Amino acid sequence: MARVARLAQRIPIVLMAIFIILPMVAVLLYSFATRWTSNILPDGYTFEHWIDGFTDARFAAVLVRTLLLAIACAVLDLILVTPAVYWQKVRNPRIRPFLELAAAIPFAIPFVVIAFGLLALSGRFAPQLQGTLWLLLPAHAAVAFSAGVARLSEAARTCGAGPMTILWRVVLPNIGPGIASGALLAFGASFNEIALVQMLVGNRFETVPLYMLNLLKGSNADFNLLAVMTSVTFLVTLVLSIAVVYVNGGATTQLANTNPGRRETQ
Amino acid sequence: MADQLSFGLASTRGRSSHLRRFASRLLVWLADWSMALPLLIVSALMLVAPMVAMFAGSFIDGNGQMSLVNWSDTLGSVASQRAIGNSLLLGVTVATITLIIGGPLSWQVSRMLRLGRAFSLGLLNVAANFSGIGLGFAFVAALGTYGMVTLAMQALGLPFSPVSQSSFWGMVIAYEYGNIPLFVLLSLPAMSLLRDEWWEAAQTASATRWQFWRHIGLPILMPLMLADWLLIFTWSVGMYGLPLALVGSAPRAFRLITVEMGQSMVGSLFGVNHVPVYAVILMVIATITLLAYRLIVRRAMQWLV
Repeated sequence: MARVARLAQRIPIVLMAIFIILPMVAVLLYSFATRWTSNILPDGYTFEHWIDGFTDARFAAVLVRTLLLAIACAVLDLILVTPAVYWQKVRNPRIRPFLELAAAIPFAIPFVVIAFGLLALSGRFAPQLQGTLWLLLPAHAAVAFSAGVARLSEAARTCGAGPMTILWRVVLPNIGPGIASGALLAFGASFNEIALVQMLVGNRFETVPLYMLNLLKGSNADFNLLAVMTSVTFLVTLVLSIAVVYVNGGATTQLANTNPGRRETQ
Repeated sequence: MADQLSFGLASTRGRSSHLRRFASRLLVWLADWSMALPLLIVSALMLVAPMVAMFAGSFIDGNGQMSLVNWSDTLGSVASQRAIGNSLLLGVTVATITLIIGGPLSWQVSRMLRLGRAFSLGLLNVAANFSGIGLGFAFVAALGTYGMVTLAMQALGLPFSPVSQSSFWGMVIAYEYGNIPLFVLLSLPAMSLLRDEWWEAAQTASATRWQFWRHIGLPILMPLMLADWLLIFTWSVGMYGLPLALVGSAPRAFRLITVEMGQSMVGSLFGVNHVPVYAVILMVIATITLLAYRLIVRRAMQWLV
């Protein structure tokens, strides 16, 4: 009886797991399916779509472009955020409220709002920047930084006001994990971001989310190819999640906690 | 004469020492802020300035004059009213369902043993981060006309017709995919505030499980759950990629603020002046949510710690 009760208690979490896993399985199967219109499972399986995808010039270019943008965004955030957080800890605590505000904005404000604001501003004051990476990259760095700043300030908590030698010997090894996971989160935020990409550069700089949107909305959508790209983004997300846990020494972290954007994230 | 001269000298000396003091103060200020300046400048230009631009833009008409015409246009148009109403309704529905399912789920996960907990957290983490266009497509692949679940149901002989992905409930289901896991992860720390000893103490006082939750559990957790509800509501209203994918080929099937904003870009010029007004509405919602969230969390922590 107690055993039945215990099993019954598990039902919600099991249902949730099914709800989470089913769409992923469907996408993965789609990427390997030959034809799939009438049965529970595909009629047959093939690697063709994966090979097609990675040998397709557009597909490969989209992937490389997005990876490079995300790497640039993560590096830029490291360069911008690490000294700021460090300085706030060792020299001037009055920096803190400004950092918090800068982190809170992308946390709460939808990226569409920021995208349209940047579009209006650049149209008025710097039309030569419109449609270029010189606008997209700093914009991505600004919205992605909140994904990593919590980790970074956590990292900086360990550092005292030591001289430079101590900085290299003690501080950097200690804040290393925080910096690394901050960069990983910034990478993920940039990789999945669509509103800023769509508004600021559009198809001139087709990234993975934009490519997927174009495929999905195209008249003769190639769902198999779309499934391959979705699986790729899914793998990237998975690898990032595992990497964040790994660099934090195996502690289960809340990747989502610092990321709205979602955030697409959003 | 000599007096005048010395007076003049004194004044220049005074000015230069003023200048020197100002310069040295500027240097100290620069040194205090130096390493944070690049980040603060980027944030000001890329985050604060666009928000100010949208705010100002909502009060400026086509000729560059101050006016309320954008506001009266937007709030007076039936289509915009519907978009605003839909966005708010979707946000409230999604956040409420998230709370009802996610709350008990979070409690369960918080009382799990090590292995089950690690597994659940991993799964929830992945789901919370799987979003946007990819999630929209996954929804189609699972619940669309030729989706896996649809085909499975039909193979079993059930008269299952899939929910349209661009309908209200289709969107709610897709939104819940990321939001329930997000809610569980957000509210998990709050669950550990409820000590196991309190339930044991309640039991020795022969309280039922219901009484425990009614008088102890919920009063403690409710403020924090409501704070998380607010966050989910705000994020749902502001979502862009996912609804864009779901609306798909039926461009104006279900109006939402964010989707309308995006479509005013690619579509006709009609409705362009609604964009800054929508943006201000989204900003107001976000600001209220953030302030309320902080207030609630601070208060809840105050008497607990």
